[in-house]
Amino acid sequence: MIPTDSSCSPGGTSGPAPGPSAWFADMVDHCYAFAEAAKARGCPVVGILCEFTPRELILAAGGVPVCLCGGNAETIPAAEQFLPSNLCPLIKSTFGYHVTGRNPFLKWADLVVAETTCDGKKKMFELLGESKPMHVLELPHKADDPDALEHWTEEVRKLKAHLEQRFGVQITDAKLREAIRLMNRERGLRRRLADLMVREPPPLTGRQLIEFKSIISGIPADLEQYERALEWFGSGSAAQPASAARDEARPVRVLLTGVPLVHGAERVLELIESGGAVVVCLENCTGLKPILEDVDESELDPVCAIARKYYHLPCSVLTANTRRLESLRSLAAKFRPECVIELVWQACLTYDIESYHVRKLAEEELRLPYLKITTDYSPSDSARITTRLEVAMEIARARRPS
Amino acid sequence: MICAGIDAGSRAIKVVLFDPAASRPVGTGITEQGIEQARLAEELYDQTLREAGLQRAQVRSVVATGYGRTRVRFADTTITEITCHACGVHHLVPDARTIIEIGGQDSKVIQLEDGGRVRDFSMNDRCAAGTGRFLEVVASRLGVDLTALGELSGHSEKPVVISSTCVVFAETEIIGLLAEGTPARDIAAGVQTAIATRVATLAGRALARPVCFTGGVALQTGMIRALEAALQLPVRVAPDPQFTGALGAAILAARRT
Repeated sequence: MIPTDSSCSPGGTSGPAPGPSAWFADMVDHCYAFAEAAKARGCPVVGILCEFTPRELILAAGGVPVCLCGGNAETIPAAEQFLPSNLCPLIKSTFGYHVTGRNPFLKWADLVVAETTCDGKKKMFELLGESKPMHVLELPHKADDPDALEHWTEEVRKLKAHLEQRFGVQITDAKLREAIRLMNRERGLRRRLADLMVREPPPLTGRQLIEFKSIISGIPADLEQYERALEWFGSGSAAQPASAARDEARPVRVLLTGVPLVHGAERVLELIESGGAVVVCLENCTGLKPILEDVDESELDPVCAIARKYYHLPCSVLTANTRRLESLRSLAAKFRPECVIELVWQACLTYDIESYHVRKLAEEELRLPYLKITTDYSPSDSARITTRLEVAMEIARARRPS
Repeated sequence: MICAGIDAGSRAIKVVLFDPAASRPVGTGITEQGIEQARLAEELYDQTLREAGLQRAQVRSVVATGYGRTRVRFADTTITEITCHACGVHHLVPDARTIIEIGGQDSKVIQLEDGGRVRDFSMNDRCAAGTGRFLEVVASRLGVDLTALGELSGHSEKPVVISSTCVVFAETEIIGLLAEGTPARDIAAGVQTAIATRVATLAGRALARPVCFTGGVALQTGMIRALEAALQLPVRVAPDPQFTGALGAAILAARRT
């Protein structure tokens, strides 16, 4: 599944990473150096906490947009001094970094931009806002409501004005268009890389693929590495003997959907792939979801174009979130999974409830086995999750035409 | 030729020796699970073979299942307990469409297709609510043997309502009930109802009939009644419910060859 000269396990981070994977293995260090240098030049660092934040506006304001989402179980106890324990680990870990002061990017952030997505985040922002300058965009929750896009566009305009005023810059249309082109290029490269997974066998594992992202967007060196990775994994050298495809033991192709797998919280992905499966499609905010659609470069008003792209993000906080089901349908047709696995972080009510629709889609329409895993950042249930994954793989294999 | 299934569960290890030609077991063995899991499984396996007048060389294939399955060194492969219970129950009760299996530390609901293949399943996650572990905790708190707990519940006229789903909280609740002078029989019956309710929640939507109950907890008198009440469906107990996992493993071992 991986090029022959690599010794990378499906675990991904163990052992020397092959070719371009090595660059992204040090992603956080690169981002640190990049942000530190930008800060020294006087560029503002702007923290973001969700894929709804239009990074283009921050880039056009000369800022460095950096994702602050926490994927570390160790920062959770500190957060629980302020937040309820029955809250999603992503929110707790993010806030825990703030409490412990362990995230340099959060410390550097001159501003944190956030949205009214789920209740847990929304209320956490108020606590974060006590010591950090915050700007919260109001996200309309009724998807496809006639007024919703209009309102969201206004919110994006307000963010633009806020950035201009706070950082004393002018965000011109030309700067916006430049940022749009940069972000489109990055999305396009990452999308093409993810598209390689349609192959059987896929040229890389899902664990390897998820490494190809950065908490800071638009770093030129990253873009070069995406290009290199495309050549590396996209070339014929990564292909496997054709006989492997007929092997009954060949890995089960999995579509993984649900909550994001923030950097450091890839445990479930690793469990899936260590049990004889390969995640060929990652339909979440750390996978394909935010990169499926580009910003329309030809639209007259770039703010409108940006607002539209981000407004289309099929997040479970929206009602009804039918766009996610449409996306899952087309991704299933493209990536040909044999099983759908949904990951839900404990106490993430919106994804948990929405799983009802996803299960129905998988079982009744796509006719695929479906497994929902509800967990948090603690590894205490890994053995139990492994058993359930093994069963799902046994079911998927039993359904293969003999 | 013989095939063998080993079910290394959390509370007990079970062995079934199966003769595929005759399509029936030729030997069974059971022992309590312990610390040296690998050795215990091996000893039980050899003892069961001896009692059946067989030798290891006569066994064509061995499948291990149960949470300790990877510790069974002499197994040719491992298969999850869900698939094994499904296969074992299907062999014994071919028309079963739903299996409820309650073991020492998990409870599972398995939906079967025609032909006995697993269509869907659900099982408890981190928490031991609704498992045999709950019965153990309560039996020890009431100072009775696990088997006596089931008989005790049969005499209850007014089962208590245990509102905590967490075993640890439930134990606290039971201490409170005992302090109030609640009879042990009503607590025993209440706990069985609590487990059955928990499993019914796990089972969720409309269950395909017939429903077959298996696993060690199916041996508890009173559990069947509690489960029927919670599911509002008739429930059949699998023959030798502790052995269906090992039986399924042995049958799957035969299919592998």
